[in-house]
Amino acid sequence: MNNKYILGIESSCDETSISIVKNGYEEIATVVLSQMDTHANYGGVVPEIASRMHVESITLVLEECLKKAHMTMDEIEYIAVTYGPGLIGCLLIGVNVATTLSYIYNKPLIPVHHIAGHIYANNIGRQLKFPLIALVVSGGHTELIYMKEDYSFEKIGGTLDDAVGEAYDKVARVLNLPYPGGPLVDKLSYKGQDTYNLPLPLDDNTYNFSFSGIKSAVINVAHNEKQKGREIRKEDMACSFQNRVVEILTKKTLKALKEYNVQNLIVAGGVAANSGLRSSLKTMCEKNGIELTIPEIKYCTDNACMIAAAGYYAQKTGKKADIDLKAQANVNLT
Amino acid sequence: MRCLLIDTSSFFINVAIIQDDNVLFNYNEKIQKDMSSKIMPIIKKGFDSVSFEISDIDKIFVVNGPGSFTGLRVGVTVAKTIAWSLKIDLIPISSLEVIASTPSDKKYRVGIIDARRGNVFAGIYDNDLNIIKNDQFISYDKLKEELTDDYEIFGLDDKNIKPNLIKIIQKHITDQSINPHLLKPNYLKLTEAEEKLNDNRSN
Repeated sequence: MNNKYILGIESSCDETSISIVKNGYEEIATVVLSQMDTHANYGGVVPEIASRMHVESITLVLEECLKKAHMTMDEIEYIAVTYGPGLIGCLLIGVNVATTLSYIYNKPLIPVHHIAGHIYANNIGRQLKFPLIALVVSGGHTELIYMKEDYSFEKIGGTLDDAVGEAYDKVARVLNLPYPGGPLVDKLSYKGQDTYNLPLPLDDNTYNFSFSGIKSAVINVAHNEKQKGREIRKEDMACSFQNRVVEILTKKTLKALKEYNVQNLIVAGGVAANSGLRSSLKTMCEKNGIELTIPEIKYCTDNACMIAAAGYYAQKTGKKADIDLKAQANVNLT
Repeated sequence: MRCLLIDTSSFFINVAIIQDDNVLFNYNEKIQKDMSSKIMPIIKKGFDSVSFEISDIDKIFVVNGPGSFTGLRVGVTVAKTIAWSLKIDLIPISSLEVIASTPSDKKYRVGIIDARRGNVFAGIYDNDLNIIKNDQFISYDKLKEELTDDYEIFGLDDKNIKPNLIKIIQKHITDQSINPHLLKPNYLKLTEAEEKLNDNRSN
């Protein structure tokens, strides 16, 4: 088999990242430059600042990645780039670097959907087993996806309002935790008790999720406690919130696994780093004979390694783009 | 000497391929959107129409601001990637100087780009493209008060802009090249979030 080296480029939010992956699963080198410290000053990602930072660092990240890999652009077979969804000003930087490199070095260009990237984070160092159910959980996404084979995505359910990571960040703000608050809620939850009796979010017969209700419930409790002159018990609230969220994610994922008669579950996206979710899914899978795959923490957050990995399979299924590739803020996974 | 010039700083996309004193390819079109997806096909079209390849160019000139934030990033990203890939000289040019290179009988030319809410980006240049007043972000009314000499304004309506590309390149051909990693857009303006944060800190 011919070895194929894919250069992946990711700039959809606040990480500038470039990676080289061999044959879709072997990581050669990855560089990730995170802007998190800058955006922490503003309590969230500021799109214009993020775009400015991407353009300043992207060629450095590219050079660093090639250096780390001891490779030159000539040894690259394909260029894979996140074209969406994401912050449009940010996506444009990665896409324009990709189209320029594609033209200069005469390398085929592969458009990669950001969520396909998160899914293929599970393909780094090993290979996906099909059919599978993918639970995608991040600051922008909460989806259940059925995959019959490589690069075939059937969305069977998703959030009707807030993404799960978004709900975590909002709850963190109510609890006065610093940005990014999601991981801190996870941490605090272990020090508290499940005492606040929060509702189980959208416990129905579909594969859909809704987190705006539980978020409002948290805000209401905080408000009521304040009126009574009491402090909210942060640890207990974090625990109560996390328990309900993890419970519904686990419940609907199991339902999907059973009804689609699937033995493989993969988890993808930033919230896949949540330890409460990881342990709940692990228990559920052990109980039901399901093989569970969760990426290493470093592949859960945005990175180009997953984009290069996904690009390999995208290319195999005939996905390609020309140098007029358009970045898209909103685009469905197909 | 073979040069590529890229300008995506305002509502025009301008790509030119220049050999010595000859403009071999000059694409200049009013484009409101999708600058990002149009730039590379236009560059390709340019090199398809001349007798040499992009890898044969010696220098790349890029208009790095001020102007549309998104537009500037498109041009700068493409230019720095080309310069890095081909290891060639990279020279940033002011968008206002390009506008002010339009021929005029007047002593001074004021290059202007609309910056919204009554503000403009403005720079004042003489006939030899020497800077008389540095590019700045200023209210249009205030700018007019400052203009007392013999001048002509270009850029308020796009029809009268006719950049003299040869003149610009001759002026800057000996400029020191910038390391592509260090090239960034010259926005002349902080983001709103940064301005707000600074206001809060100084209050």
